[in-house]
Amino acid sequence: MIDDRGHDDEATPPSGYEKPPGEQETVQWESPGSQPTRESAVPEPPPTEQDRVPTPWELQQQQAGQETVAEGQPNPVGGAETQVEDAPARSDFEQANADRRAAEVTGEAAPPSGADDDEYKWHTDRTGRSESAESDAVEFIDVKKSFGRNAVLNGLNLGIPDDQISMILGPSGTGKSVCIKHMVGLLYPDEGDVLVHGESVPNMRDDDLFEMRKKFGVLFQDGALFGSMNLFDNVAFPLRQHTDKGEDEIVDICTRRLREVGLAGAGEKMPNELSGGMRKRAGFARALVLDPEIVLFDEPDSGLDPVRTALLCELIKEIHQENGGAYVVITHDIMSARRVAEYIAILWKGRIVESGPASELFNSDNQFVRQFLSGEARGPLGME
Amino acid sequence: MRRYLAAPGDWIAALGDIAKFAARDFGEVFGLRVFRFFGEALRQAGVLILGSTIVFWSLAFILGLQCGIEGAYFNRSVGAPAYAGVFSAWCDLREIMPYAFGYMMSAKVGTGLVAEIGAMRITDEIDALEVMGISSMTFLCATRLLAAFMVLPFMYIAAVGAGFFASYLAVVQQIGEVSSGGFFLIFWMFQNPPDLLYSLIKGMVMATVIVIVGTYYGYTASGGPVGVGTATAKSMVLNTVMVHLVGMLGTQIFWGANPRAPIGG
Repeated sequence: MIDDRGHDDEATPPSGYEKPPGEQETVQWESPGSQPTRESAVPEPPPTEQDRVPTPWELQQQQAGQETVAEGQPNPVGGAETQVEDAPARSDFEQANADRRAAEVTGEAAPPSGADDDEYKWHTDRTGRSESAESDAVEFIDVKKSFGRNAVLNGLNLGIPDDQISMILGPSGTGKSVCIKHMVGLLYPDEGDVLVHGESVPNMRDDDLFEMRKKFGVLFQDGALFGSMNLFDNVAFPLRQHTDKGEDEIVDICTRRLREVGLAGAGEKMPNELSGGMRKRAGFARALVLDPEIVLFDEPDSGLDPVRTALLCELIKEIHQENGGAYVVITHDIMSARRVAEYIAILWKGRIVESGPASELFNSDNQFVRQFLSGEARGPLGME
Repeated sequence: MRRYLAAPGDWIAALGDIAKFAARDFGEVFGLRVFRFFGEALRQAGVLILGSTIVFWSLAFILGLQCGIEGAYFNRSVGAPAYAGVFSAWCDLREIMPYAFGYMMSAKVGTGLVAEIGAMRITDEIDALEVMGISSMTFLCATRLLAAFMVLPFMYIAAVGAGFFASYLAVVQQIGEVSSGGFFLIFWMFQNPPDLLYSLIKGMVMATVIVIVGTYYGYTASGGPVGVGTATAKSMVLNTVMVHLVGMLGTQIFWGANPRAPIGG
């Protein structure tokens, strides 16, 4: 239920919140084999020169023989967090620096970019079928998908556990939405297989596919409400098309669903009269109206302010507690992941870097995972 | 050389895609799967009736007036004012009405289909339909084709009547150089029921092509609002060409070898 509650998790401030300098959450990148430590809101001694990875800006300065930014001193260009953004000629050295950064954090020379081993050196997730695959709601098996020359999924193996809220995280453009489209058969893999409750989606006949899709509820980025119908008719549409329920029963169900998402009085409004957040909530109500076994959320936080993102996350949790089922949330918002995720998979370069229970992922040793989940500029993931 | 052949190659490929799309669309309609969404087809029929009928009938009425006036003055100039009905019979029925219908359908209905379905495509509404287990092809395209089949023949025949009535007003009531009886004598002498059928076939083939082209370009739109705009423009160009092609072929097939007129014995 949407209400006006604020955040209840002190450890997860809304995105955009900036802690004072003394409280900055930091990740220390250490030598290989040692456990990186992550500390928050605890005063810490300044990092030494040996265990500090230089930023691209500093590397460029070192390369040019200039004076490196003094430890603990503000950068002449800007603060530590703005150095990458302010670097004037990043594109000139980004590839070299990506390799150099990787070498710094791993303690070994990075192989040339493009080499297969190097490209997937951070991908420590399984490469075959998992032991729990039988109980997964959705499973990707060695899925490859290309659009022209652009390989989006490149041997993806992923299991979405049943009855949990799972999150697929990853940098922009890594194929998260393509994953969702494979689950519901809007796209088919070039190679590999996608199983939904053990049934192969690419091998289904059209009629079976349409029947299988009734298991799903999907919340698209902007709600994807039908512009020619008012809100109530949008929510009632799946019921009218797929069930023999009478109009009274449909009214009851839709009214309840709209009330759950805080839109009880907005049934007569047309989609173009709604704000972005309302459209998402209406899309959520429509996605739930057939009591689906699997609900997919394609970036539910995109375009929402932090408070409404938090409220939507609360709503997802509440509805999941009531209804159960496999919920899959696609996002690159770490705050949302902290709020709702029970299971996390991180996708990059068409494969899962690491997946597992959220608590494990947030304490992962994998430096890519740590960088991504802490939103740090320093680490294996660069702008390339 | 290859560069010069690229554009025609793309056109041929696009025509092939449209042909496949049309075959699938016809399959949905004549395979009766579209009747699962008969309510939506009726809604689309209502949209056509409310949105296009008055426009088309008004257009037909105005063109009927013009045909009548120019026919009457031309026949007076050659000393045969009593034969003004020939113009009304031929001009209205055989050419003007099918073309006016084609233009109106292209400009209003065809572009409307591209814009509506294209906007649905880029806002994920079509994907939303699919993931609800509803065939978007059947729900969006086949229902519109069925609606066109249900509504347009009646709209067309009524428009022909409006054109005839306007010509009668212009020739008999406005210019008045021929009596009502004299006008109708020639008017009916130069046409018969098969001509009305042929004219209807021309109009319906045009309408079918326009609906297919419109739904195709809308359904396959991509590239955001700019892509929808581009698709709308492309559909308008193709529909204009197709209207003339169908018009020319129709005239050749139905009246090219036989004028179906009491001339020359």
